[in-house]
Amino acid sequence: MKTEPAHQHPALKPLHFDTVVNVSDFVKRYKKEVAVNGVDLEIRKGEIYGLIGPDGAGKSSLMKAIAGVLTYDGGAVEVFGTRVDSERAAERIKPKIGFLPQGLGLNLYPELSIEENIDFFAHLRLVPDKDVGERKARLLAMTRLDRFRDRPMKNLSGGMKQKLGLICTLIHEPELAILDEPTTGVDPVSRRDFWSILAELLEENGMTALVSTAYMDEAERFHRLSFLSGGKVLVSGTPTEVRALVPGSIVTFEATPQLEAIDRLKASFRQVESLGPLLHVFVDSIDRSEATSQIEAALGDLTHSSFRVDEPELEDVFVALLLLKTDQKEAFSSVSASAVGHDRDGFAIEAQGLIRDFGSFRAVDRVSFQVKQGEIFGLLGANGAGKTTVIKMLNGILLPTGGTGLVAGAEMRTASGTIKQRIGYMSQAFSLYLDLTVEENIRLFAGIYGLDKRSMINRYQWIVTMAGLSGYESSLTSRLPMGVRQRLALGCALVHSPRVLFLDEPTSGVDPIGRRHFWDILSRLAREEGVAMLVTTHYMSEAEHCDNLALMYAGRIVAEGSPADMKRHIEQEAGLLFEVITDQPSQALVRLQQAGFHGAALFGTRLHVFCRDPLRDKACACQALEDSGVRVISVNERPLSLEDVFVYRVMALERIEMSAKQEAAA
Amino acid sequence: MNVRRIAAVATKEWKETVRDRLFLLMAFLLPPIWMVVFGYGLVLDVEHVPFAVLDRDQSSLSRDYLYRFIESRYFDYRGSVSDEREIDRLLGDTAIRMAIIVPDRFEEQLVAGRPVTVQTLLDGTFPLYADTTKGYVIAVNNSFTQELLSDFLTRTRGLVPEEARRLVEPVSLQTRYLYNEEVRNTWSMVPALIMFSLMVASPLLTALGVVREKETGSIYNIYSATVSKVEFLVGKLVPYFVISTINVVVLWMIAVWLFGVPFKGSFAVFFSASLLFVLCTTGIGLIISLLVKTQMAALIITIIIAMVPTILFSGLLVPVSSLSPGAQIQAHLFPAMYYTDVVRGSFLKGLDLKDMWTDLLALAGFAVAFRVIAYSLFTKRPKA
Repeated sequence: MKTEPAHQHPALKPLHFDTVVNVSDFVKRYKKEVAVNGVDLEIRKGEIYGLIGPDGAGKSSLMKAIAGVLTYDGGAVEVFGTRVDSERAAERIKPKIGFLPQGLGLNLYPELSIEENIDFFAHLRLVPDKDVGERKARLLAMTRLDRFRDRPMKNLSGGMKQKLGLICTLIHEPELAILDEPTTGVDPVSRRDFWSILAELLEENGMTALVSTAYMDEAERFHRLSFLSGGKVLVSGTPTEVRALVPGSIVTFEATPQLEAIDRLKASFRQVESLGPLLHVFVDSIDRSEATSQIEAALGDLTHSSFRVDEPELEDVFVALLLLKTDQKEAFSSVSASAVGHDRDGFAIEAQGLIRDFGSFRAVDRVSFQVKQGEIFGLLGANGAGKTTVIKMLNGILLPTGGTGLVAGAEMRTASGTIKQRIGYMSQAFSLYLDLTVEENIRLFAGIYGLDKRSMINRYQWIVTMAGLSGYESSLTSRLPMGVRQRLALGCALVHSPRVLFLDEPTSGVDPIGRRHFWDILSRLAREEGVAMLVTTHYMSEAEHCDNLALMYAGRIVAEGSPADMKRHIEQEAGLLFEVITDQPSQALVRLQQAGFHGAALFGTRLHVFCRDPLRDKACACQALEDSGVRVISVNERPLSLEDVFVYRVMALERIEMSAKQEAAA
Repeated sequence: MNVRRIAAVATKEWKETVRDRLFLLMAFLLPPIWMVVFGYGLVLDVEHVPFAVLDRDQSSLSRDYLYRFIESRYFDYRGSVSDEREIDRLLGDTAIRMAIIVPDRFEEQLVAGRPVTVQTLLDGTFPLYADTTKGYVIAVNNSFTQELLSDFLTRTRGLVPEEARRLVEPVSLQTRYLYNEEVRNTWSMVPALIMFSLMVASPLLTALGVVREKETGSIYNIYSATVSKVEFLVGKLVPYFVISTINVVVLWMIAVWLFGVPFKGSFAVFFSASLLFVLCTTGIGLIISLLVKTQMAALIITIIIAMVPTILFSGLLVPVSSLSPGAQIQAHLFPAMYYTDVVRGSFLKGLDLKDMWTDLLALAGFAVAFRVIAYSLFTKRPKA
């Protein structure tokens, strides 16, 4: 207020005729810390505008300022033509705005039922009673929450809370919906559901939406987007425009020996990732054969096979841009092999029919899987699917209600002490002492695990090299960037050379480069040292790094296998995935669903459709669209993502459950 | 001001409070519990002081002297000892808080008309307690001395005992206690405890209720909505005001029926003062909640802000008039003092509005002031 400029800001550019939000040179400071530094943003009527970025990129501050619920320190924010620079001005725009703050269901009232929550928001916004009834009925039906009207909010699942939050935000039919990370921590099925509901509502009411997300793979959902990093906009535009900034292609292939291949590729390419047995390389050339030959040249005499070239995902583009911008060398001193190479034979983890009940609630239901030494095993699922409970049982922290488990050769029921000596555990909360330096933290953990002086010195050196911590040794942990802190936590979990490593959502809130660096370290640990790893994550795109996966849903494992196997199974069952670009996406979606393509989904302006028989179905779909006057611009095959796999599996399961219920009822 | 929006906030708040079991307990159970616990527990009378005697004389007069202590309700006789070292031990263990040492030849010296000195050892750990005990000892000792003197006069001057007594005590003191005729501590404490319970419980409830929304982030529903600051503050406070008002009645009933404190004044005056006071206390809670970010901070700050001045400066334990001048000024800065006046005045003194209107006016002033402060502190567009 006092600090905000009162006069016309010189940086405000001439507006697009239907601009809803115009932000220029926006600066927000918290005390001395600069959270957002000079951001420009323009949102037009009717679009879904995306803010993408890791935690701390400045997304929330920007969104709150636009919603008029946070002051700012520089620049200008104009919403519906009103300059938001005082509490009075902010009040003027609020009737037209719906704001959903960050935190799944946190803005709802746990003791109130679904209906009471909605009523509160409706009354607060003075929605006339007859409209409340009608809108409530429509929104509840659309979100399939109508059966649970009287259920207290605290007893809802993550996906239901998310949908209720959306209803409450939109009950007064705002012209601009500002949604802060609405999909974080929600399972992929609910996420897809959420996006289609949002798209439908926007279409119906001519609403505009500003949505933020930490999932890079959701970038495709937006009409236009800004990628924020460290309080600045790295890039803005439509997904197509963003892609055009870094032309290139993604080459996926197998090469042996993998580590040698990575070393050679890193010399000429900046983005090299290992995904299980596959390698994933970003090549600057758009020409497919050229890209392949560049790779072959770099690999030299190493054997390689099954080349596949795809258009880069937006995440690859963001990483490329981040790398350009920061000019950060992805320099990894290769891990010096430690004295402890683990025996590659036998299973590191064997879970047999694990069950865990909390009261009458079955959190984990007959979960069985095996993890070999040197394997990275991923446990995927939404918040509350039972991942953490499985880990706790295997660590000997929680007693199972039923089933058995062997971890690092010890029985988890009886030998939890032995297990704790042989495993490392890194939690989502990063159990570091923030007031200690990097060196003190490592020494502390060494002390806890009772390392003698000599092995501690060895291990200390090894950790600093492995985790890329040199130069940070004497800095306070609280001052470290998230990515470095995360690697330190990994180092501390490895201080006693464990055979098995448990990683519970290790990459939450870390930027994409930090995440890739981290996964690089993990795969080296698995390949070179033979450490077995059990990783949980709700980032489906990350799961590609695992050798084997188990998808958990409502306490059960609903699919298992290597990422490639899983995708192959879906392709056999459901067909190939095609991306359809049309001039009228939302109408096209309705048309396709009518034509029998039930799995059709809208991603921003593009449609995703499964085709069992590519040639015939493709033609049939195009015909259906052209018949209703929708012009088809392009149809291309798309690689399946693990998210597609998860959604397909869970939907199939829900259908079975539904029909079983109907049978029982009949 | 839109009544519908106020009603929306108030109903939501009420439902949340009533359905959250912890909150419900805090709202309705805590104040009566405090009242009962402190009403029985916070008794400051010094009675039954445990003591021992060392009688080196073992004469009939020395026994007569000591017997006066033993039979007094203010003292509690714990036995005779034969050695001073034993007294040290008993005092050290706090088995006794006082000891009386009667010297050799006590009777012989007195009969011979020579003064004797009796030694009293007092545990001085609690000065107030020791002082009161000393007062009792002096009183018992004086009455014994006076009796000796009047006996002496009766014997030597041949006076009738009454006359001798008058000579010994030319000025006699007649005391009548007003308001609290039986000088019962509970009668004085329990009404003030109504103030104490309200002073702690209602700010706590209000502060937690608002900070809870800040902590979860649901406050952003309010920030981003069209509801005005006044509407929110009013709607938010209505449920806590209602709860506190119910508590006023419950606490009054406990005072009158459980503790048997007579209520001599006007219930209307007492009740309206209580409403004003509740407006003050919820206002304090509101201000605290606007300044802190977490429920933990709200809890600690409320307890400190509500408890300390209430115990020290409200007249709960020590009358405001006997505080130091500085402390008296401080006492006038908190609403608790004025309400304590009204409560004690209504219960014990039977005062009416014409005697206490200044107190009510002061409470109303605080209630308004706190709301103005809260309004100016609350912003729907904060800095962080």
